[in-house]
Amino acid sequence: MMLNLLKDIWFLFGRLFPFPAKPGLRRAGNPDRLSLVLVTCNFELTVRKVLRTLECDGIDAWLLVAPTKGINVWCAASGGYFSTDTVVSIIKTSGIENLVDHRDIILPQLSATGINIWALRERTGWKPRFGPVDIKYLAKYLECVGDPFERKYRRIEFPLGDRFVMGTNLGFSSLLFFILPFLVASIWMDGLWWKSILLLFFLAILNSVLVFLLPGKPGVQKGFSLGVILSVIFVVIRQNIWTIGHWETLEQIGWIILLSTYLGYDMPSWSPLWRAEIKELVMGVKRTLVEVIPEQCIGCGLCTIVCPAGVFELDSGIKKSMVVRLDACQACGACIENCPKEAIKNNFRSGTCSCPTCTVINSVKSSKRKVLHP
Amino acid sequence: MSTLVYMKILERTPEKYDRGMRILTLGRIDRIKLEIASLWVKSGHYVLEIGCGTGRLAALMTARGAHVAGIDISESMLTAARRNAPEAELIHMTATEIDKLERNRFDRIVATLSLSELEEDEIAFVLRDSFVLLKTGGKLIIADEVKVPTWRKRFLACFVSWPLSVLTFLLTRNTTHALKRLEGRLEQTGFRIVARKNYLLGTLALIVAEKT
Repeated sequence: MMLNLLKDIWFLFGRLFPFPAKPGLRRAGNPDRLSLVLVTCNFELTVRKVLRTLECDGIDAWLLVAPTKGINVWCAASGGYFSTDTVVSIIKTSGIENLVDHRDIILPQLSATGINIWALRERTGWKPRFGPVDIKYLAKYLECVGDPFERKYRRIEFPLGDRFVMGTNLGFSSLLFFILPFLVASIWMDGLWWKSILLLFFLAILNSVLVFLLPGKPGVQKGFSLGVILSVIFVVIRQNIWTIGHWETLEQIGWIILLSTYLGYDMPSWSPLWRAEIKELVMGVKRTLVEVIPEQCIGCGLCTIVCPAGVFELDSGIKKSMVVRLDACQACGACIENCPKEAIKNNFRSGTCSCPTCTVINSVKSSKRKVLHP
Repeated sequence: MSTLVYMKILERTPEKYDRGMRILTLGRIDRIKLEIASLWVKSGHYVLEIGCGTGRLAALMTARGAHVAGIDISESMLTAARRNAPEAELIHMTATEIDKLERNRFDRIVATLSLSELEEDEIAFVLRDSFVLLKTGGKLIIADEVKVPTWRKRFLACFVSWPLSVLTFLLTRNTTHALKRLEGRLEQTGFRIVARKNYLLGTLALIVAEKT
């Protein structure tokens, strides 16, 4: 219990690093030959969360923990560690084929970035489908499979708890980058390093938690806004109530605004909702573009299922997919990976969600991977 | 900005992979590959290479006149391999799919630094299927990180392997697990060990096992 608590705290701060659970087959409840077969990554926190949710919801299931190098679903899928190959491997080595009488398998929706459902079907003979965006929706999703309303369980969200977690991680990753300059600067400015570290975490958490309330666009503008607001508060407090430290007020304000602006700039990297400018910079594109080629689209609607941002909608009249929310596109590439007719055009390399782990681990991947069969 | 810095440091490319593996083995891996190609592979042999990477060994073996089929799951590695070993047949396939290949076809199955990237269940699967794919008298040749058997040597090996593992992770973004009880597992599968060479305080081994 205590160990799990300590692990959770470490996971909270150190999501940037992989935490592998042993891959293989797990039982949730008392599964039988007709029970659900689910797949997840082997990021330990995710495995525990999935098993706990299944237990709470009273769902008996077989859980295949795929060897994704201890990385979470979206990042592993984007980085090529949760791929069609990975699922082929876990299906074959887990022995699940001998334990159930059916061949239906539910994959996490966010794994669509790395898994080609058609290739998986062809290589394994299983019938895969993408489940909800979060395991907490599994019970509701199962109630309305096939119903168009299931799409509400397919949109990525950024609730307060996640914003706090990502804020701490933004602070932690930035600290790794800033620690040396802080220490060097402390030679001349006594105590700068620990004050700056505290300030860094404080600003990182606020940048993330308050992101919906701050004025401006996500990125530099919101970071700068937070810096200015906090500076005003700081001046008022310092003048009227309190005296903090020995620095000159102007220097302190400048430091707060500078750090906050920097953290604001990096914040979209830690959110599932906004494309990171840094990513677009790395990808060399000014604006992410996705386009459906109507002549090639067969209206299967898979792009509307795999997209976590609701970029696509199916026009039931002409039976074609259409791009309706281009600005929400995360450039994750799930639609491109899974379109059976290669009817989606893009101007980015697939396989990068907007989080920094993806940009860190993502390798050179072509915009459309071809799976060659033996 | 920190994100960009991490990304640049940790980006995986075939060139970085090769360099990282050379560092991990302090240059031994190139010599081991040469030894495998010159001592254990002959002209006309049918060879399967599991995890062919950038195709360096496949190129050496095809130069010896062997028919080489190489498998790997990384498209970027396969692209590099096609450039380095144009005569080899290179396929995108996981190690757990080798059961789709023809039985009793291969004279040699080679795996260099690839089994240590697999999980325990996958390794068991590969050993079992390699036995089925090899002709009688065919050989499974493994060059990989192994667990050192005695505590004293293991303690010494830590000083070498830990910093190298960190370096390898940074350079290749690959994590490996040193193989445990490899010879015992090979014998359990039905192989007979015909040669073993140790390198780097016994942390790297070349093991040749024959299907009897």
